[in-house]
Amino acid sequence: MESFFILLEQSSLPAWIREGGTLTGYPLVLFLHTLGLSVLVGLSVALDFRLLGFAPGIPLRALVRAYPLMWAGFALNAATGALLFAADATRHFSNPAFFVKLVCVAFAVVCLVLLRNVVSRKNSADAGPVDEGRVGMRGKVLAASSLGAWFVAIGAARLMAYINEFIQ
Amino acid sequence: MNLAHLHVLLNHFPTIGTVVGFGLFLVALVWKSEDLKRASLGVFVVIALVSIPAYLSGNAAQLILEGAPDISEATIEAHEDAALLAFVFMGLTGLVSWLVLWQFRRLSNFVNWNMPAVLLLSAVTVGLMARAANLGGEINHPEIRPDSVAGPEAAWLQTAAIASAFVFDNPWVWPINEIFHFVGLCILFGVVLLVNLRLLGVIKGVSFAALHQMLPWVIVGFVINVVTGMLFFVANHAQYVANPAFQWKMVLLLLAGVNFLYLTVYDEGWALGPDDNPPRLTRVLAASSIVFWVGVIFLGRWLPYIGSE
Repeated sequence: MESFFILLEQSSLPAWIREGGTLTGYPLVLFLHTLGLSVLVGLSVALDFRLLGFAPGIPLRALVRAYPLMWAGFALNAATGALLFAADATRHFSNPAFFVKLVCVAFAVVCLVLLRNVVSRKNSADAGPVDEGRVGMRGKVLAASSLGAWFVAIGAARLMAYINEFIQ
Repeated sequence: MNLAHLHVLLNHFPTIGTVVGFGLFLVALVWKSEDLKRASLGVFVVIALVSIPAYLSGNAAQLILEGAPDISEATIEAHEDAALLAFVFMGLTGLVSWLVLWQFRRLSNFVNWNMPAVLLLSAVTVGLMARAANLGGEINHPEIRPDSVAGPEAAWLQTAAIASAFVFDNPWVWPINEIFHFVGLCILFGVVLLVNLRLLGVIKGVSFAALHQMLPWVIVGFVINVVTGMLFFVANHAQYVANPAFQWKMVLLLLAGVNFLYLTVYDEGWALGPDDNPPRLTRVLAASSIVFWVGVIFLGRWLPYIGSE
């Protein structure tokens, strides 16, 4: 496993990302990763707020159309995340915060998939607070879990850059 | 033109602007003019936004002036702390003004706490701005400096120095601050994106008035990021002041902020029904808002890599 990661780090694309300079290379991939994060997590958070009872005037079904964009954000981040991992594979693989992040992201994405059923359920096309009653306990728990999982994922992701200093 | 020059230019907006906005607000109260009240609230929001670069450029001016003859460092520090306090109250005034404008858009009416709250906050801000401006004037005008140099009066007033020491003495503060900065970004950008996608016509089946209920979350995200961003800046301003990515980030932030204010109050958007096609101006505004915020994110991510010149 270890030797595979070393090999991966030394292949040409990961090496370019690591040493690519100030505008291209690492900062560019990192920006794209942040952009994907803003789209996916941002829209997901807005959806969660609606499900938790804020802005009850927004018909739930209108939010189904945010899903393709959220998946686009997810695809961008899966791709850029794989590149960032490959650039520093051995270091990330030994980083506990990295695994916390992966688990939280997976959990939040599962919540998002399950919430699609809540959002696209029939009879929720009519606007107004009537819609709110249709979210149900299950929808609210999923929305709250999604919010929590995203924020822990962001926290763990940020700490990846620092955790080795703190452990030592 | 260097950054010290920019500060001398920018600092007049909050100082004179608050006085003008306050005067306008008083006239509106006396005349009982709703339109004038809303106009002065808009002025407060814009000045609160301009206060951000006005404050930040002050640290650039400080770096340039440091060690110059005839300049008292104690006076600069006293001015810095007075400016930070004035900045905080200007921010609060802008925040409450925005909230009142948002509420007015929904109710077509002011609620009883609105005017006293704005009056109190803006009056305090005018006083604090005048104090900051006066101390700032003393920096380059020894002739108006009192004999006893206005040093930092009490320990609790040395806010900037205390915040800076707090960040450097505790290694976990910077990472935690970064986490909150990202969380604030997601809250702000997600709601902005959702609203603007509707205004572009990408999302339909929801009226703008319904999405308008969601706008205070943008302010929540914005406040989180101004507070955490100011902590980064106050703790380590040398990394930021001369950094072109940071400077452009602030320019885009201003544009995005003014765009958002317009979105909060304008009539065309408010009239947009669930399946209406947005008018052209609305689509242009929505697209530019997304571009501004993506630009802010790009420059923020990029700035540590280019560093200061």
